[in-house]
Amino acid sequence: MGFFKYFKNVFSGLWNLLVGLSVTSKYFLNFKAVTTQQYPEERLPLPARSRSMIKLIYDDEKDQFNCVACLMCAKACPNSCIKLEGVRQADGKRRMTTFKLDFSTCIFCGYCVEACGFDALTFVSEEYENSVYKRGSLLQDENAMKWIRPAQPASPEAATTEAAAPAVAGA
Amino acid sequence: MLTGENIVQSVAGLLNWVYSQLGISALAGFINPIISSVVMFGFISVFVMFLVWMERKVSAHMQSRIGPNRVGPFGLLQTVADAIKLTTKEDVKPVNRDKIPYYIAPIIAFVATFMGMVVIPFDKGMVVQDLNVGILYIIAITGFTVIAILTAGWSSNNKFALLGGFRSAAQIISYEVPLVLSVVPIIMITGTLSLTGIVEYQEKAGYWFIFPQIVAFLIFITSATAEANRAPFDIPEAESELIGGFHTEYSGVKFAMFFLGEYIAVVVSSAVAVTLFLGGWLPVAFLGFLHLPGFIWFMIKLVSVIYVVMAFRWTFPRLRVDQLMDFGWKVLIPFSILNILVTAAVWLFLYGKGAQ
Repeated sequence: MGFFKYFKNVFSGLWNLLVGLSVTSKYFLNFKAVTTQQYPEERLPLPARSRSMIKLIYDDEKDQFNCVACLMCAKACPNSCIKLEGVRQADGKRRMTTFKLDFSTCIFCGYCVEACGFDALTFVSEEYENSVYKRGSLLQDENAMKWIRPAQPASPEAATTEAAAPAVAGA
Repeated sequence: MLTGENIVQSVAGLLNWVYSQLGISALAGFINPIISSVVMFGFISVFVMFLVWMERKVSAHMQSRIGPNRVGPFGLLQTVADAIKLTTKEDVKPVNRDKIPYYIAPIIAFVATFMGMVVIPFDKGMVVQDLNVGILYIIAITGFTVIAILTAGWSSNNKFALLGGFRSAAQIISYEVPLVLSVVPIIMITGTLSLTGIVEYQEKAGYWFIFPQIVAFLIFITSATAEANRAPFDIPEAESELIGGFHTEYSGVKFAMFFLGEYIAVVVSSAVAVTLFLGGWLPVAFLGFLHLPGFIWFMIKLVSVIYVVMAFRWTFPRLRVDQLMDFGWKVLIPFSILNILVTAAVWLFLYGKGAQ
C-alpha cells in the first residue's frame, strides 16, 4: 500500500465512521421517529379479513342463528374440532341446536368459514385476545360464540374500501 | 459555593467528630479509605444501573423504539428489577468446571475494573486516593481484566468460552499498546502522572488537551472501547459467533459481576478520557456563568463521553479478528507514535527545553 493511499484510507475511514454516527444520532435525537405501538394502551385496527376468533353469526331480527346445521364446516375442518347438532323444525327447516368448537385444536385455517354456505360462521378481527387461564375455556359453545353483525362496517378500512369501490366502478 | 472540596472536608470533619466520640481517632487513617471506597462502590453501582438504563434507551431511540418504560418513571427502575432477577436466579454451574478459577474469575473482573475508579478525581480534592502515579496505576489495574477473562474462558470447560478468552487476550494485548501510547503526549506536556495534576495543568494553561491532542483523544477512545470489550470490538463475547464468549457458562450473580465489570470499565475509561482530554472538573468555557460545582461538570462530561461510546456500539458493525489486528497494529499504533513525535517536536519548538 502506498504512503499516501494509507493516509487517504485512514481519513476516509474516519469520515465514514462520523457519517454513520451522525445517522444514528439523528434518529436518537428525533423522538418522533419512534414507531413502537404500546400494545395494551394503543391498538391498531386489524385488517377486516384477518383471522382472529371464529364466531357464529346471530340474526337479531329473526332471533336465531344463521346456522342450519348442514355440517359442511364440520366436514371441512381438518382437525375435526367442530361438533354440532341440528333438528328439523315444524316449518320444515333445519336449525342448529348445539355447536361446539374446540379452539385448543383449531388452527384457524378458515376452511369452515369458506365452507359455510349460509353466512353463519365468520372471523371477527377485533377479537384477537384469546388467551385463557384454563384449557377447558377453549371449548366454546354457541352461546360463547354468538356474534351479532354490527349495522355499520366493523373497521374504518373496510368503510373506505367500500366507499371507494362504487366510485371506481362509476368512473 | 458548593464544591467537591467543601463536601469532602465537611464529611471528614463529621467523621473525625464521630471518631473522637468513639475514642478511635487513632484508626482514622485506616477507616477513612474504607469509608470512601464503600461510598465509591455505592455510587458506581447506582451509576452503572443508570448507565444500563441509558444504554437501553439510547439503543432504542437509535432504532426508532422506546426502550424500557414500564418499571418506575421512564423505566428507570428496570435495571433494579433486572438486578433482583439476576441475584435471585439459580447459579447454574458446568459439572467439569475448574472450580477455583471459575469462582474467582468474576471477582477479578469486577474488582480489577472497580479499583480503577479509586484514583479518578471527581472534583478538586474529591478523590478516594490521589496517587502520584495515577495513570500508570489505572493502566496496570485495568489490565487485570484480561486475566479474569482468560480464567473464565479456561475454567468454564467450554469451547466457545475458551475461544472468547483467547480472542480477548489477543485483543487486549494489541490495544493496550495504543492506549498507553496515546496517553504519553499528555504526560510529556504536563510532566505528571497524577490525574489531579493533569487537570490542574489544564486549568492553569486555560485549554483542554482535546484541542492540541485530538488524535490522541480519538486513539484513546477507540482503544478504551476495545479494552472494555464493547462493540465494535466485542469479539471476545460476539453473541452471533460465540454465544456469550467467556461468560457463556456464567449465570446469576457471577454473570452480574461480569456485566458490572464491563460497565465499570466503560466508566473508568470514559472518566480517564474526561480527566485527560476534557478538563475533568473544569467548567465548559462558554457555560461558565452557570456556576455549577465541579463534580457536576465532571458528571456531565462523563455522561457525554459514555454516550459517544454507546453510539459506537449501536452504530458500527463488529470487526473481524484480522481486521481488528490490522486496525490496532497498522493504524492506531503508527498514529500514536507519530503523535508523540509531533507533539514532542512542537512543544520543544514552542517552549524550549525548560517547558516544565
